Amino acid sequence: MGNKQTIFTDEQLDAYQDCTFFTRKEILRLHGRYHELAPHLVPMDYTNEPDVKLPLALIVNMPELKENPFRNRIVESFSEDGEGNLSFNDFVDMFSVLSEMAPRELKAIYAFKIYDFNTDNFICKEDLEKTLNKLTREELTSEEVNLVCEKAIEEADLDGDSKLSFADFENMISRAPDFLSTFHLRI
Amino acid sequence: MDFRGSYAEGSAAGDYGYQGAPESLRLRQRLSAVPDQSSPQFNWNPDHTSENEEGSSDRQNLKELPLPMELKKAIRQVQQMKVPVVSGWQSWRRSKSKTLKRFREEAGGILAYVALWRRNLQKIGGHFGGGVQSYFLFLRFLVVLNFFSFLLIASFVLVPSIIFHSRSSGNNSNINISAGQEVCTYYEPNPQGLVDFYTYFIDLLTGTGFMEYSYLFYGYYNNTEGITNDFSYNIPLAYLLTAAFYSIFCLICIVIRMGSVIRVTVKTGGRTVGGYSMLVFTGWDYGLQGDRATKLKQNNIRYKLQVDLEEERIKLKAASLTLGQTVGLYSLRAFLNLIVLGLIIGAFICIFLATQFSQTNRETDFLSLVVQYLPSIVITLANFVVPFLCDQIALLEKHAPSTTIILALLRAVFLRLASLGVLLITLWSQITCSTEDGGTCLPCGYNHTLYQCWETRVGQEMYKLAMFDFLTVIAVMILVEFPRRMVVDSCSWKLVKFVGRQEFVVPQNVLGLVYGQTVVWIGALFCPLLPVINTVKFIIIFYCKKMTLFYNCQPANRTFRSTSSNFFFLLVLLFGWILAAFTLIYSVAAIHPSMSCGPFRSLTMMWSVVPNSFHSLSSSTQDFLHYIGSQAFSIPLFVLSCVVLSYMAALASVYGQSVSLLKAQLKLEGRDKQFLVKQIEELSLASRKRQDC
Repeated sequence: MGNKQTIFTDEQLDAYQDCTFFTRKEILRLHGRYHELAPHLVPMDYTNEPDVKLPLALIVNMPELKENPFRNRIVESFSEDGEGNLSFNDFVDMFSVLSEMAPRELKAIYAFKIYDFNTDNFICKEDLEKTLNKLTREELTSEEVNLVCEKAIEEADLDGDSKLSFADFENMISRAPDFLSTFHLRI
Repeated sequence: MDFRGSYAEGSAAGDYGYQGAPESLRLRQRLSAVPDQSSPQFNWNPDHTSENEEGSSDRQNLKELPLPMELKKAIRQVQQMKVPVVSGWQSWRRSKSKTLKRFREEAGGILAYVALWRRNLQKIGGHFGGGVQSYFLFLRFLVVLNFFSFLLIASFVLVPSIIFHSRSSGNNSNINISAGQEVCTYYEPNPQGLVDFYTYFIDLLTGTGFMEYSYLFYGYYNNTEGITNDFSYNIPLAYLLTAAFYSIFCLICIVIRMGSVIRVTVKTGGRTVGGYSMLVFTGWDYGLQGDRATKLKQNNIRYKLQVDLEEERIKLKAASLTLGQTVGLYSLRAFLNLIVLGLIIGAFICIFLATQFSQTNRETDFLSLVVQYLPSIVITLANFVVPFLCDQIALLEKHAPSTTIILALLRAVFLRLASLGVLLITLWSQITCSTEDGGTCLPCGYNHTLYQCWETRVGQEMYKLAMFDFLTVIAVMILVEFPRRMVVDSCSWKLVKFVGRQEFVVPQNVLGLVYGQTVVWIGALFCPLLPVINTVKFIIIFYCKKMTLFYNCQPANRTFRSTSSNFFFLLVLLFGWILAAFTLIYSVAAIHPSMSCGPFRSLTMMWSVVPNSFHSLSSSTQDFLHYIGSQAFSIPLFVLSCVVLSYMAALASVYGQSVSLLKAQLKLEGRDKQFLVKQIEELSLASRKRQDC
């Protein structure tokens, strides 16, 4: 555009453009959204890379995330400390992975992290049960939940250890035609 | 063969990953005590010499790294500092490719901004999900297709006709009239004497009267060969070739769109085995916003899971039926299918009779409006009543729920397209006098008493169908959907709440669109302005459907899978195209054109304008075209395309085999890993025991 913006240096914008799937305009717009979450905490001038992190509670109040049942897990997966405190870099990263241009493999890696509730690099039956309860608002009976979890693990588990490793998960995702369009956050 | 390397061919995310073991880099994961064998391994010093050296692929690899932003920026700095020793030519090429990539990204951003209705579609997808959004995407595709068709027709047929009409520099070439054929050239479209004022309104709806002799219909175009100075423009040839190119253009657009949809399906292996895991992990649409939409989606997923469990139970029950029960079930199903077939044939007979009646009675009073619209009314009623009855019958057939949905759709598609076909066959049999004795057809080759200009009449029929379809959509919206929502919202009876708000049922709406588009394809030869009318109609329908979606509807409980359904919509559209293509080929090649109107009035067959103008080309072009049409060219071409086809088929089967081989290898590797881990544990246990002793 014609006007000169002073939020980022050109070098910084180049770096963002190379590291994410966003254009310069979209990165500036994301900064606007990040800023309006906490106008007193987030400075308008990012040229000297301030170390500002917003807590989980503020991020999950965004309209795009507010009703998502996995909002806490999403924000935790993209935070440095695993507690959900996002810096602007993490914020941009999160929306870049969830944008429509991110490839399937990248999205699968982060989807695996999101559904792995106890962060042990395996999706075990308890993780599945928690996922299912969040999906259906706990309105399935416990035997139905049990049945569905057993069937899901049976379908996707390839190496027979009754829990899903990343390889199992990625193999199952590769056969899902809808994954790219559903694992997509519009901002 | 390294599985990771071959699976992630061309994309770097398969080569990179993250490691659970502690490193000097900050990582996002909590450290786990068990050495992490299951997560992908990260190679911090990748072997750059094995990849290509282009700058753009480095940038692409950077975007796809699953690392925090600070790490990616650090990697980028390292990459930039690594200045490879290249010649001046290569560095120039690299900087040019960088600017080109930037330019392409900016252009892509601008195009996405300009794309028609992007914000509306995002909003629809966010609130109602991918299934409903696919209907609106399909509608947008049809609007763009119709608009470009209109541009094609306007530039090659409409504008030259207007120019030559106004300049009247062309002259109608005299047709050879043999004795007894003078009656064929009589054509008087404008009504005589005083007309009542409401006739104009009727004319607007039925395409008669002042609308008949206009650019809207075939009859107005002359068979002029506009000659100005050194430039001659053969309007009949342009008319015919434009119609042919229009059909081929639509076919190419549909096939290209189908190709992109199929690519996704083939890549993911077609059959979606593994419904439960896929539903749990990919069922949630992350783009959904709004409290109501979220709750509905959760209900939806729960419903789907319960339906899947129910289907399993039904399958188990079906497998445990005795022989007698199975035979009884199958004979019941055969009987019910016969009933459905009988209903459909009954609908066809009604359409046949209605068309015959409406074509033979043409007065100009108000009741005649109903008579004129009788075929459209009967078709619409049949397409409403028969699927409803079939749904009730399907309840008795006791299929699994997914099979029931597919069967209902197939029956509805067959009914829609076949009823249109019956209408056309009736019209054609009347025009060529196959229902009565051949007496009325002898002088002119077509039924000149009923049809002074039969192409215009067919065009009018298609125009009426399109109009009535549009009026039906508007009327249903105003008279059914809005009142239903008002009743449901204000009335608190249990029964009313049970019936609930309208659901936006995607398949029926898509079939309506396909029907409208097929009517336009059939009618485009006889009514050249029909594509632009259809464009306006579809645009209005888009906004009306969007309005009714947001005000009156709730998302359907049984949703349609968006990717497989996209392919299904395009397949049905292709069937409609085939129907229209058959119609066009038959009218162009078999029926005698009207002698009193239109660009082909002097010929015995519409197609003959092409061979006639063939001789006016230069001799070298004639020789070239002769060669292309001869056996010396077409047989080697046919053989070559067979070879290419078999090569593609062999390639596809080899890919399928390698995919299944890789899957088997993946399983084996997992088992090997487990076995080795167990052995390690046993050995360490044994060594510890030995140490203790």
